[in-house]
Amino acid sequence: MRKATSLRISVSGVRGVVGESLTPQLVSKFAQAFGTYLGKGSVIVGQDSRQSGTMVKKAVLSGLLSVGCKPVEIGICPIPSIQVLTNQTKTIGAIAVTASHNPKEWNGLKFLDKEGLFLNYHQVEEFLDIYHQGEYSLVDVDKYKIPECETNPTELHLNKLLSYFNMSLIAEKKIKVALDCANGAGAVLAPTYLKALGCELVLLNCVPDGAFAHHPEPLPENIAELCRTVVENKADVGFVQDADADRLAVVNERGEPLGEEMTLALSTRYILSRAAGPVVINLSTSQAIDDIAEKFHVPVLRTRIGEINVVERILSQEEKPAIGGEGNGGVILPDIHPCRDSFTAMGLILEAMAVSGKTVSELQEEIPRYHMVKEKIEGTQEEAQRIIRLLKKKYEGQGDISLLDGLKIIFMDHWVHIRSSNTEPIIRLLVEAKSKEIAGKRARQWKKEISEISKWK
Amino acid sequence: MKLLKIGISGVRGIVGETIVPELVMDFACAFGTYLDSKKVLIGRDTRVSGPMLLEATLAALISTGCDVLDLGICPTPVLQYMVKDFKAGGAVSITAGHNDLKWNALTFINQEGTYLNTFQGEEVLDIYHLGKFTKVSVDQLGRVKAADDYLDVYFKKLKTFLDSESIKKSNFKVVIDPCNGAGAKIIDAFGQNLGFELIPVNNEPNGYFPHDPEPRPRNAQEVASIMKVVEADVGFLLNSDVSRVSIVAENGETLSEEFTLPLIANYYLGKNPGTVITNLSSSRMIEDVAQKRKCPVIKAKVGQSYSIQIMINEEAVMAGEGSGSIAIPEFQQAFDGFLTMGLILEIMAVRKKRVSELVEELPRYHIVKEKIHCPSTRIHSVVNEVKKLFADRNIDSSDGIKIEDQDGWVHVRTSATEPMIRIIAEDISEDRARERAEEVLNFVSVRVK
Repeated sequence: MRKATSLRISVSGVRGVVGESLTPQLVSKFAQAFGTYLGKGSVIVGQDSRQSGTMVKKAVLSGLLSVGCKPVEIGICPIPSIQVLTNQTKTIGAIAVTASHNPKEWNGLKFLDKEGLFLNYHQVEEFLDIYHQGEYSLVDVDKYKIPECETNPTELHLNKLLSYFNMSLIAEKKIKVALDCANGAGAVLAPTYLKALGCELVLLNCVPDGAFAHHPEPLPENIAELCRTVVENKADVGFVQDADADRLAVVNERGEPLGEEMTLALSTRYILSRAAGPVVINLSTSQAIDDIAEKFHVPVLRTRIGEINVVERILSQEEKPAIGGEGNGGVILPDIHPCRDSFTAMGLILEAMAVSGKTVSELQEEIPRYHMVKEKIEGTQEEAQRIIRLLKKKYEGQGDISLLDGLKIIFMDHWVHIRSSNTEPIIRLLVEAKSKEIAGKRARQWKKEISEISKWK
Repeated sequence: MKLLKIGISGVRGIVGETIVPELVMDFACAFGTYLDSKKVLIGRDTRVSGPMLLEATLAALISTGCDVLDLGICPTPVLQYMVKDFKAGGAVSITAGHNDLKWNALTFINQEGTYLNTFQGEEVLDIYHLGKFTKVSVDQLGRVKAADDYLDVYFKKLKTFLDSESIKKSNFKVVIDPCNGAGAKIIDAFGQNLGFELIPVNNEPNGYFPHDPEPRPRNAQEVASIMKVVEADVGFLLNSDVSRVSIVAENGETLSEEFTLPLIANYYLGKNPGTVITNLSSSRMIEDVAQKRKCPVIKAKVGQSYSIQIMINEEAVMAGEGSGSIAIPEFQQAFDGFLTMGLILEIMAVRKKRVSELVEELPRYHIVKEKIHCPSTRIHSVVNEVKKLFADRNIDSSDGIKIEDQDGWVHVRTSATEPMIRIIAEDISEDRARERAEEVLNFVSVRVK
């Protein structure tokens, strides 16, 4: 069987490789299906900074126009800004042209409803049915709409951020920030935003041209340049966004990357110190969050992987959650908008610094130490399922097993989570333990075990 | 029955039925794959469906690695002229010319600025049917840039080609109706360049047409009535991409579009004798005019692509069709409405005659145009059967069926754009012209059902 490795259609939208699977024809059909699903009205079309953004966007525009929607083109725009704009304006939905943190040859579409939320499983299923049936509601020319452009799409988001955070307190501290936008969409808002908060800026990769100077995933191995910049410029903190600016990683004043799990941990600790409320996170997020929540006597609710799962849980909770998010640097503050937002995360960390008068490394000390090892193993969803089935059988009764999403087993000295990626043909392996040594050792054991199972075929 | 016409130089259909993003993209991908030089111009008329076709075409072209220069709303002849000026490998014009608003089309233009010829068109179609399009990786994707200022280049050249001094001195008052098409607003620059007083009608590029964008007498009443009020010297009607022109004389006569070609030929062949290309459906006036100048006439199949192809091959001095289109290769190898209007003004200025006087110099024929719907599946057999009707006559079947004699002719052909049979008849006598057309119409009408 041939493996379709360059196209992924999932709850997170569509992703593919330009020049291979992601053709203009395919993109316009998805836009037609989405327009058909939404009905007639204005649909926001935004994009991250990828070089293929123009091609994909134009295909989206033609698809939307053909089914009688009125596209509102907003150009390069961070995902959270698109979400806020969609939520706050009279539109019926939005399409974001982005492949998040995938390498530059990828691009894709994310679909948002009129609230500015990603489509949930049921919505995606309905929408994909329309796509697969190919029954798009093509309109006659008398129902054609004239496309529009919105030239300041980040304004509403910026206003929300600035009215939420304590601007004067942060500004007083004159925090020096080294900012790395990874040549992504964040560059259109982040410098303006941080200047408005009174920060002094050292800019790195802040041209949104998609010529990714480093891999657009904010992992420690990708941000060496930022770490150096922090040290050389004696910055108080370093921030790095991913290509569509929903995730954030932090570097402390010593030029050490904190690891992306720390972004949510620092944010959670600060938020809970001000207001109580449950914390909603996914299955893969660090145990550190549980320890912090315990200290503040609030519950932790865990969901399947995928931003929308966390968001849906936040929205369905009777007691309003204080914060939510993902360990990959995605912080969700319901008071701003129920979406992952690197700008919110920056604000929380800056405000935590300003309020406490502490350095990032001092704040870091307050977070319980855990070490997480994240590995990717090549493999399809089918292979992942087989591996999970076999491992589950083998480890039944030996630890606390969860099958909510893939396989998660909590052992005495570590936990392991094995699942297939929604966006790439890989199996994700996560291992977390109190010490680096144990985490590394356990991860090596699990990787070996998985690769042995793979060989049995 | 869904309407889609795939021709040599493009594809035409009804938006929302056959003209959907995927089809547009497939054709544009085929064209982008076909081109050697990956620099392409694009322009469109004002149709409300234009942006859909434009975005689809752009996405497709850049996916094949073509860099695109977007000329925005741009008359096809201007786009064609700019191909060489920008040293592009080709162009795509998004317009359905004289068809009503529900239609739209892609027309493919080669690096000479002419419609694709038969061989080129067939190659593009082969690529389309094979579906094997060039797909470039991210680093090779084409870029889109907007072009401006090109109108100045075009009008400067046109001004040089025409006797613009004489035109300017005449201080003409001209009414032009671009039907809110691609000519809208651009006629303002045309007027300024040639120095006449422009009174525009339907000059809003808003995507909607106030009447069918077909330049012919039945759409010319508005122009005629305005001309009377302002005492204009001449009136012009344009189709949506400014490739066709019909004329209204200063005395209010709404001239048949058939007059445009012979009026210009009568003057131009006098200065530049040579071969004239026309099609089988055009009025005999052109033959009389050419004969007077001892110039040969060669007839092509109906359609710009065929006329221009033969014009190039035969090194003709001009080509034109009875639908109101003119090409003069010394200016460019394309039907050009601005050139057409400019030449009419030049004739009026140089010969110091009014339009009605110029018309008087032409022989008067009467032309009758009929059309009848016919299912696509039957259309060719029905047209073939018409041969029976004229079994004892000399039949020209190079494009449908044409029967000609001393006083007139009748031409029966399938429409290139719709599932229809067209019947065109001409005679010195109006009654006889009608009889010629009705004879065929009656014969056909019982067979199409």
